[in-house]
Amino acid sequence: MKKEFVFVLLAFLTLGLVSCNSNDDAKGIVIDGIDLSDDVDCCSAEEALQVYKFLQTVKIVPELSTVVDNKYNVFAYTRTGTFHKGYNDIYFVATKRSSGNYVRNFEIKNVTPLMYMVKMNMSHSTPVSPVFDQFDDSRPALRHGWISFLMNTSDAGYWNLSYDVDVLGTSDKVSNVSIDVNALPEGQDWLKNFKLGDDTYFLSLVNADKFATGTNEISVYVSRKNNPITIPYGLADKTFTIEIDPRMPDMGNHTSPGNTTLTRQDDGSYKGVINLTMTGLWRIHLTVKDADGNVVAGGDDLKDGYSSLYWDVTL
Amino acid sequence: MILSILLLSTLGYSPSDSVASPARSIDEVVVVSARAEGAQRSPKGITASIDEHLSVFRNVNLVRRGAYAWEPVVNNMATERVSTTIDGMKIFYACTDKMDPVTSYVESANLQSISLNSGLNGNPQSTGNIGGSVDLKLRKAGFGNGFNAGASKGFETNGNVQVYEADAAWSGERFYVNGGLSYRRADNYKEGGGRVVDFSQFRKVNAFSNTGLRLSNGGVLEHTLIYDRASDVGYPALNMDVSKAEAVITSLSYRHTFSDSWLEAWDTKGYYNHITHIMDDTKRPDVEIHMDMPGKSSTAGLYSLLTASTDVHQLQLNYDLYYNRLFADMTMYPGGAAPMYMVTWPDVGTLNTGAALTDVVTLGRGQSLRLSAKVAQQWQKLNDEEGYHALRVFFPGMKDSYYQTTGRVAAQYAWESSKVRLTAGAGWGSRAPTVTEAYGYYLNNTFDQYDYIGNPRLKNESATEVNASVRWQPGGGLTLTADANAFLFSNYIIGQFERRLSAMTVGAEGVKVYGNLSHATIINTSVEADWQLSRSLRWHGRLTWASGRDDENDPLPLISPVAYRTGIDFSAGRWTAQVLVEGNGTQTHFGEKYGETRTDAYTVAGLNGQYHIPLKTSSLTLRAGVENLFDKRYTSYSDWRDIPQKGRNVYASLVWTL
Ligand SMILES: [Cu+2]
Repeated sequence: MKKEFVFVLLAFLTLGLVSCNSNDDAKGIVIDGIDLSDDVDCCSAEEALQVYKFLQTVKIVPELSTVVDNKYNVFAYTRTGTFHKGYNDIYFVATKRSSGNYVRNFEIKNVTPLMYMVKMNMSHSTPVSPVFDQFDDSRPALRHGWISFLMNTSDAGYWNLSYDVDVLGTSDKVSNVSIDVNALPEGQDWLKNFKLGDDTYFLSLVNADKFATGTNEISVYVSRKNNPITIPYGLADKTFTIEIDPRMPDMGNHTSPGNTTLTRQDDGSYKGVINLTMTGLWRIHLTVKDADGNVVAGGDDLKDGYSSLYWDVTL
Repeated sequence: MILSILLLSTLGYSPSDSVASPARSIDEVVVVSARAEGAQRSPKGITASIDEHLSVFRNVNLVRRGAYAWEPVVNNMATERVSTTIDGMKIFYACTDKMDPVTSYVESANLQSISLNSGLNGNPQSTGNIGGSVDLKLRKAGFGNGFNAGASKGFETNGNVQVYEADAAWSGERFYVNGGLSYRRADNYKEGGGRVVDFSQFRKVNAFSNTGLRLSNGGVLEHTLIYDRASDVGYPALNMDVSKAEAVITSLSYRHTFSDSWLEAWDTKGYYNHITHIMDDTKRPDVEIHMDMPGKSSTAGLYSLLTASTDVHQLQLNYDLYYNRLFADMTMYPGGAAPMYMVTWPDVGTLNTGAALTDVVTLGRGQSLRLSAKVAQQWQKLNDEEGYHALRVFFPGMKDSYYQTTGRVAAQYAWESSKVRLTAGAGWGSRAPTVTEAYGYYLNNTFDQYDYIGNPRLKNESATEVNASVRWQPGGGLTLTADANAFLFSNYIIGQFERRLSAMTVGAEGVKVYGNLSHATIINTSVEADWQLSRSLRWHGRLTWASGRDDENDPLPLISPVAYRTGIDFSAGRWTAQVLVEGNGTQTHFGEKYGETRTDAYTVAGLNGQYHIPLKTSSLTLRAGVENLFDKRYTSYSDWRDIPQKGRNVYASLVWTL
């Protein structure tokens, strides 16, 4: 009886050790097309595995892929492999064509979306993240940035996108690739703007697609329209505060407690807390104040008593 | 104080050993019996609903939300403070709107008797029974009674109520089986004056079986099964109806009887029950937002009860354990827009285990002492992530699991002589908050039009009870009884205004969050007279008065106003007849603060009679009567949202017994 017990215990311990080993070291794992071994141009096998795992959660945007000097592939990814109106996260990787290995040192620059407005015969850009930089420390071979599209592709106009890429000193250019920007479904409106003096500001709601019932962090970028308008719009240099008042218009406009005002963070984003007590359509009414506390946008009382400046998010 | 109602079966077999022993019953109310003359009863007999049987109890009131599934209120305390068990089995309702008190999942034909322990002196299986504990005793054929069968048919003019019931039993020395089927239906009833109360219809089917096997060692194995299904149930006091309320209730028990020992019996029972409750608003006109609101409750448990007796002691030692899961959610469909979903009971798992001891001590010279005590521990876990995260919006520091300890201890002294019986008792007990009180989420209460949110930070509620009664029989067939009890609460749990929150339900007044009041008081008193004027004539009357006050000495809601009931019973040979007058005084102390409105006084009268026809090998019992004889339009304080009671109702029933 006792012997048996010891044996089983040993068996479990051994099993535990084996499984620990395989987790700690990515060496020897073979993934189709990618050789996950240490590479001086990239990173440790573990870091490469982390990139690989992350890329399983997003989808490639084929029209933005390019080949640099016949040596490197550059791929762009979004969550769905497509773009939609409002804020989109975009990720880039560069791989060696010979081994499939990721490349650590590469740059994505001058990301420029342009919408051509058919009737007006003019083009305009849209809010874009100031830089496309390293996504995080554990994945040095991954670049991240964002574009917040003002409009979706329609009869009124269509989008082109250009960017420059530099992989280990070799440069290339992707010029005017046609991209489709989809409309958001009914009940989703994640990008709003307001005018302050001669300037137009854009409020891009970053993480609306991740909201769930309960307490959520809410993250926003405030961008300013550029002059000329064909240059991507950078972050606003002015600092604001954004008060939120989430309501359910389909249910008597009830609200939730404990929501906090969005304030500017060191990384340039605005963050606060939003509480969503159930699923359905939430209309997040906004009051934007300048650094002195003056209301500069929204905060007005319409007939139903809520700000006319709002995002719509449907859970 | 222990009361019990006997629902003598239509079968001829003798009551099983599940009936509370008379030694422990201070008062016994017989409901259905041709033989028990002079006893109080539900005049409708077996075709009466469980609710009508319960209304026979002196300290039971019933909250009506329609014609079906009334909520028993004991000593002016409702479900939260009352334990309801079926043969000692725990069962928990599945509707966040209290449409389905667990008494709605049984039929009269399932039961032998209903026993009620007033206050903290509860039956061994009960927990949280500050107001009292109700045990519905199942009707088992028992051994050695041969073959029996019965059938009955009831009819009522108001609402076109139809009741059909049939049962049969085969009872040998080693094996018994009995079972039956019931069907009950009603259309909308008419209030006094003749106006139809829309959405007061219901249908209910019920089937049950009980099986017993005596093993060679003398032990008895018993199995019970109840299937109950109500459909198309209207709730005129609420905004929704019920399309389906279904229960399966089953148990397996083993009873060992000791011979030649001070130990009497050892009962161990394992049980399981499951309730599905589906609400429906599709038949209502002008529904702003259609909603789906299903709920489910399942409970598995066991108890083990050891009984022993000596010349002095009658001991009951009980251990019980149960695990209950409660889940409810709500989906709202605003026309065209995205559905809105929330979890209203976050799949709460409750594991509760307790040990109880009761002892009836015979002290001699007519004196006795009844003692009871119980300690219970409870673990709760919120299994639904979404519901948990939603609640955390309101209680950011809350956890997903909780632990509570509750207990009760009570003693009652009785002294009895040939003419006088005196009792005096005291007790202390606590209860854990219910799932609704602790974790309910935006539950709209149509009583005060507030949305209620549970509070996981609630403290246990506790109460000290004192009670006393005196019964005097001066002779000449006269019995006078006076009875009083008082409950002094600490941390009384009730919904409290939370003006910072906005109501979710369209049209709601606001939001209340359950909270603890530092103290509250509930007092119940009654006086009764019973006068057997002659062998065939008896007069009886009863007057009750109650008071409920919160920590600011304001009236609590749903406390009965002065109520009275008097009647004359006549019996001669195969005939019995009764004239009954009952009513309430004006509810002057109503819980205005809690959204309650004043209810006016009323008096109603009724007549009923019974005729017994013995046949060769069987017998027939014919009952007939009129309720609300003068077709008065009235509502009582416990009629939810003041829905009117039934107008004049003529009923008749025929019971055949083999
Ligand atoms: Cu319900």
